[in-house]
Amino acid sequence: MNKSKTKDTPNPVWKFFSSIKLTIVILILLAIVCIIGTVVPQNEGAREFAARLSPQALSIFKTLNLFDMYHALWFRVIIACLTLNLVVCSIDRFPATWKKFRLRPDPDRNKPFEHLPEDQSIITKREFANTADDVGNLLQSRFKRTREKEVEGSLYFYAEKGRFSHFGVYIVHLSVLLILIGALIGSFFGFEAYVNIVEGEQTDQVMIRKDMRPLDLGFTVRCDKFSVDFYETGAPKEFRSVLGFIVDGKEVKRTDLLVNHPAEFMGIAFYQASYGNVPGKTVDLEISLEGDTASSYSVKAEMGKEFSLPKGKGAFQVADVRTDIMRLGPAALIAIRPEDGKPQDFWIFENHEMVMKKLPAPMVKSPKFNPSSFKPYTFSLKGIQTKYYTGLQVNRDPGVSTVWAGCFFMIAGLFVTFFMSHQRIWVRVDKTSRGTRISVAGTAGKNPVGLEREIVNLINRMKQLS
Amino acid sequence: MINATILSYTTFVYFAAFLLYLLYMVMHRSLLGQLATFASLAGLTAQTVAMILRWIESYELGFGHAPLSNLYESLIFFAWTIMLLYLIVEWRTKNKTLGAFVTPLAFLAMAYASFSPDINSHIQPLIPALKSNWLISHVITCFFGYAAFGLSFALSIMYLIKRLDKQGSKGIFVKLIPAQDILDDLNYQMIVIGFLMLTLGIITGSVWAHSAWGTYWSWDPKETWSLITWLIYASVIHSRMVRGWRGRKIAILSIIGFCCVLFTYFGVNYLAGLHSYAK
Repeated sequence: MNKSKTKDTPNPVWKFFSSIKLTIVILILLAIVCIIGTVVPQNEGAREFAARLSPQALSIFKTLNLFDMYHALWFRVIIACLTLNLVVCSIDRFPATWKKFRLRPDPDRNKPFEHLPEDQSIITKREFANTADDVGNLLQSRFKRTREKEVEGSLYFYAEKGRFSHFGVYIVHLSVLLILIGALIGSFFGFEAYVNIVEGEQTDQVMIRKDMRPLDLGFTVRCDKFSVDFYETGAPKEFRSVLGFIVDGKEVKRTDLLVNHPAEFMGIAFYQASYGNVPGKTVDLEISLEGDTASSYSVKAEMGKEFSLPKGKGAFQVADVRTDIMRLGPAALIAIRPEDGKPQDFWIFENHEMVMKKLPAPMVKSPKFNPSSFKPYTFSLKGIQTKYYTGLQVNRDPGVSTVWAGCFFMIAGLFVTFFMSHQRIWVRVDKTSRGTRISVAGTAGKNPVGLEREIVNLINRMKQLS
Repeated sequence: MINATILSYTTFVYFAAFLLYLLYMVMHRSLLGQLATFASLAGLTAQTVAMILRWIESYELGFGHAPLSNLYESLIFFAWTIMLLYLIVEWRTKNKTLGAFVTPLAFLAMAYASFSPDINSHIQPLIPALKSNWLISHVITCFFGYAAFGLSFALSIMYLIKRLDKQGSKGIFVKLIPAQDILDDLNYQMIVIGFLMLTLGIITGSVWAHSAWGTYWSWDPKETWSLITWLIYASVIHSRMVRGWRGRKIAILSIIGFCCVLFTYFGVNYLAGLHSYAK
């Protein structure tokens, strides 16, 4: 539309990319392919969907990379086209905008006053010189730039504001570029990883999500405690990890990590992402003695630690703890060291009754699976104490600040583009037979209502001058 | 739960306002128009009171959060923003015909919230992901955007009706509807406000997502649909600002845009994603 300049060599590629039709086509095309991306499950969710497709359809989907569409080459080509279109359009139209910005119309123009509505001029009985001074002052107080010129006994004023609103569009376009650049920086120099840390343990490695490759952090992170709170309704209330950051064996930082309250250490951000249980190394045991059904002993036994047997016939320890063994549920391996005689060991199960029904007869008879195989004691496994692990999202994204800058400029640019306009006002003060006449005219780039309001306002103030 | 009771009554007040606006358009009695405006104002006031009561009640329950946290509360807020924005436009333009096209949106949102068996009107505590200062700014910007697009949708329908009538006889129904170019101008203003608000909504959402999950954009269906909506309205603005499209084309694009808004709001709940608590 604004192509006032004709280029010496009209480059067809340039012409193609400077078309606003192309912009609209790309915007709508992008909207349509995004719809596909929300209907076809992406990444992790795709497996189930893919299983229902016919082999031909599946191969088409795979060729087009539809299961990871937003990272597909063709999707990036569309984004690149939009970017190129945006840059070329901006450059192509900039000279015309610059001209509008630089334009300094003369104050002494009579054209704006032709066909001026009657209510845009007033006549006052005051003297010409005073009136002219007051009008000049009024304009200066309301406009950034004013100029005046006297021609043949009449005084002409030119005032303008909002010249910079012509650049709003360029700020918006620049902001889109900034956001895309920020995203590129993030994808080249950043990473998204995760790590699970059991309470009381530490790690210096995290797992990159994209290619499942371990990454050395360069420091150690330890989880001292994880806790989860629930509301009475059963909905989760708070997830909290107490983390310590350790460099060269020394704890440098300690912090509580909550959802919405990430922690940052040495340029790497940690987010509370998930949690879970792992079996700990401690089991709850109950030991009863044959012929003494009344009394039984509860023991909290940590794996590998030796405990003496009740009524002192030797010692035992928990040699192994499994959350599930041969699909028979939680089990513990008890190793007995009698005062005299051979050491022996056997498995005990939390679901003892069920296991005994399931096991084949020879195994039931085997001392390896008999909780009473060391007389007179009977061991039963009451439970394995579990520990929490905290699931952390571990990211580095050096492009984020660029993206935020882009967001800021986008909002600023949209404000300028939509709500500011270049207002130009011409005022003429001249002498007539009925007194001094003030006429006000104006033009605006957009928002004619705003201009009208400004002119009405000026006229009212000028009436008050007299 | 006095707030939910007031809110369900407000539904009927908005329905009454809709009928009054409609009667006003057909019968051209200014009294009916005044009554319609009064009903809208009364409904909005009652609704505001109910929302404040709900906020206070959430503190009494020990949860203490703004009533913007689930589908019920968001629908109520949606209706509230529509009515507020509409009454401002009515006051500025001194034309009441838009009311007959906008109040049904508010009424339907309220009716869906109050009477759908799938929607829980109880005040629920905030899950950890929602405990953020960004909740309020994100929801407010998004819903003012949605409301502005809702008004733009209503104006587009009015434009198309007015346009149809131009070709036929002078119907009494369209007589009070403003001229086409006024509708077109107002429509564009609503699109501009909506676009700015939607942009702010997406940005506040990104900032929030970045602090909650560590990534400002994860192509979650709701995020993607809000981007689709943004792209549609961006193309509307470009086609008008640069190519000078007016009238029918803009009206049709705006209707498509509002369908995207509705899908972003409701449809996405049928696709799994990070926003599932808004169900």
